[in-house]
Amino acid sequence: MPSLKTTITGIGLQNPLMLASGILDENGYTMKNILECGAAAVVTKSIGREERTGYRPPIVAEVPDGLLNAVGLSNPGIDNFGNEVGIALQAGKPVIGSIFGGTADDFLYVGKKMEEYGANALELNLSCPHVLGVGSEVGSDPELVEEIIGELKNKIEIPVWAKLSPNVTNILEIANAASKADAFVVINTVRGMAIDIYARRPVLSNAYGGLSGRAIKNVGIRYVYQLYKETGKPIIGVGGIEAYEDAIEYLMAGASALEIGTGVYSKGKGIFSEINSGISSFMESEGIASIKELVGAAVQ
Amino acid sequence: MIHSVIERVDRETPTTVTILFPWEKEVRPGQFIMVWIPGVGEIPISLSFTGHTKGITVKSYGPTSTAITKLRAGEKIFFRGPYGNTFRKHDGKALIVGGGSGMAGLLPLITPESHGLVSARTKAELLFADRFSPEKLTTVTDDGSSGIKGFAVEGLKSMDLGEFSMMYVCGPELMLKSVLDYISGDGIDADFSLERHMKCGIGVCDSCSIDGLQLCTQGPVFTKSALLNSREFGRERLSVSGLRVKL
Ligand SMILES: Cc1cc2nc3c(=O)[nH]c(=O)nc-3n(C[C@H](O)[C@H](O)[C@H](O)COP(=O)(O)O)c2cc1C
Ligand code: FES
Repeated sequence: MPSLKTTITGIGLQNPLMLASGILDENGYTMKNILECGAAAVVTKSIGREERTGYRPPIVAEVPDGLLNAVGLSNPGIDNFGNEVGIALQAGKPVIGSIFGGTADDFLYVGKKMEEYGANALELNLSCPHVLGVGSEVGSDPELVEEIIGELKNKIEIPVWAKLSPNVTNILEIANAASKADAFVVINTVRGMAIDIYARRPVLSNAYGGLSGRAIKNVGIRYVYQLYKETGKPIIGVGGIEAYEDAIEYLMAGASALEIGTGVYSKGKGIFSEINSGISSFMESEGIASIKELVGAAVQ
Repeated sequence: MIHSVIERVDRETPTTVTILFPWEKEVRPGQFIMVWIPGVGEIPISLSFTGHTKGITVKSYGPTSTAITKLRAGEKIFFRGPYGNTFRKHDGKALIVGGGSGMAGLLPLITPESHGLVSARTKAELLFADRFSPEKLTTVTDDGSSGIKGFAVEGLKSMDLGEFSMMYVCGPELMLKSVLDYISGDGIDADFSLERHMKCGIGVCDSCSIDGLQLCTQGPVFTKSALLNSREFGRERLSVSGLRVKL
């Protein structure tokens, strides 16, 4: 039997599949349930400094080959999230704390708390706006990204993963600004929108949203490949992974670990064990002994 | 979004209406749709009519449900679904227990043989009590204006449950919890259809979850045995922000 074990920034994973941020990861019992369904780790919903109710429904729209969402960063505030992390940790697997903020100070405050709660790493959601509700994304401002990651790396012990947005002109510029991060998570959702032609209006209450699922897989593969090749940094691949072939494609593009979000909606919670057994059979038939052999295998 | 043109609107109680519309789709009792009022909001509503003509029975409560109750015949209704699971089939004698607008989701289960316990705040708010033959009906009201005064469980206490082997229960969660506690040691089995806050309806947002399971995809119907072992049922839920709060 080939081994599915992998390591990312020193964190051992039983298999390469983690739950992506924002999907079924607000309630500790749900995260625990997902870990029991075969995910090697979970990334929490993005948590900020203050409690936020987010946008009014509709917050999601089912579109061909994916989902559009604009949840609006609803979260209970970091001070109220310790209990959920604690419940998730009962599964005995890594829990990654996703955090957001508008300033380096926000990120530090929230990151410190996540560390105290027992999170095994931080994932920085850089696709959040500077000032909540208005303005451009934090992740499109290289100076701010550098400052945030510099602060966290100085004052936090656990690994820091920078989750990059595909909605920038030059992803390498942001990756360079984030070069002190221990790993890159690629990609967040791609900006999108849907209109209901009979209602003659945008479906999402926020009008604009983020596209996820199969529709964006080939965008993700491209950025993983590019960042692996240009930076050599450990990479966590995310975006449209719904079958074992997608997972292997991401690994071959340079990802050492993977996250699944929309696939949990389209395939159910069994997706983690299904993809793992597909990867395992593939490795067996192709004579591959470890995940490491697959990582970056297609990069030239 | 799916849309249909409303055929008819029936007033059921002073605050509740049934909206009927054609929709060529096979749906099962217990399932729900997410109803969208453009510019206002989107909420989950269980289907009270599951034949060729579909129907929802809605009580005016928040801004979206209030807007839904104002829809008129000939207007468009926007929705997506159907979502969720269904009730278990049962051959023995069953009791249908509905609290408040919870009767809406139970309506498709009612047959001429059905026994029912219908509860509401007042007599005027009793929903679909007239669908049971009078000798098979028990009513319970908070103010005592019809039947037994008190909560639904008081009605159960007044009945001989020994003749039933199954219960189908829908209503506010604290009512369901009191019913579950009352029958926990009995031989009677039960399916409970839960109502919780739902933002997405498709198993991604985690707002409806209970003990790691999603009401919208793995519910809303849960068995008695599943709920007996639950840590969150009747106790805690997450608020719109995701804050853990007591029920
Ligand atoms: C409903 C929904 C909510 C999301 N919320 C977050 C979030 O809070 N923080 C974050 O970093 N990414 C969030 N994402 C993005 C996902 O983590 C992931 O990067 C993206 O969906 C692509 O992966 P997928 O195709 O497997 O879903 C969200 C995605 C969806 C569909
Ligand atoms: S309503 Fe979003 S997970 Fe159930």
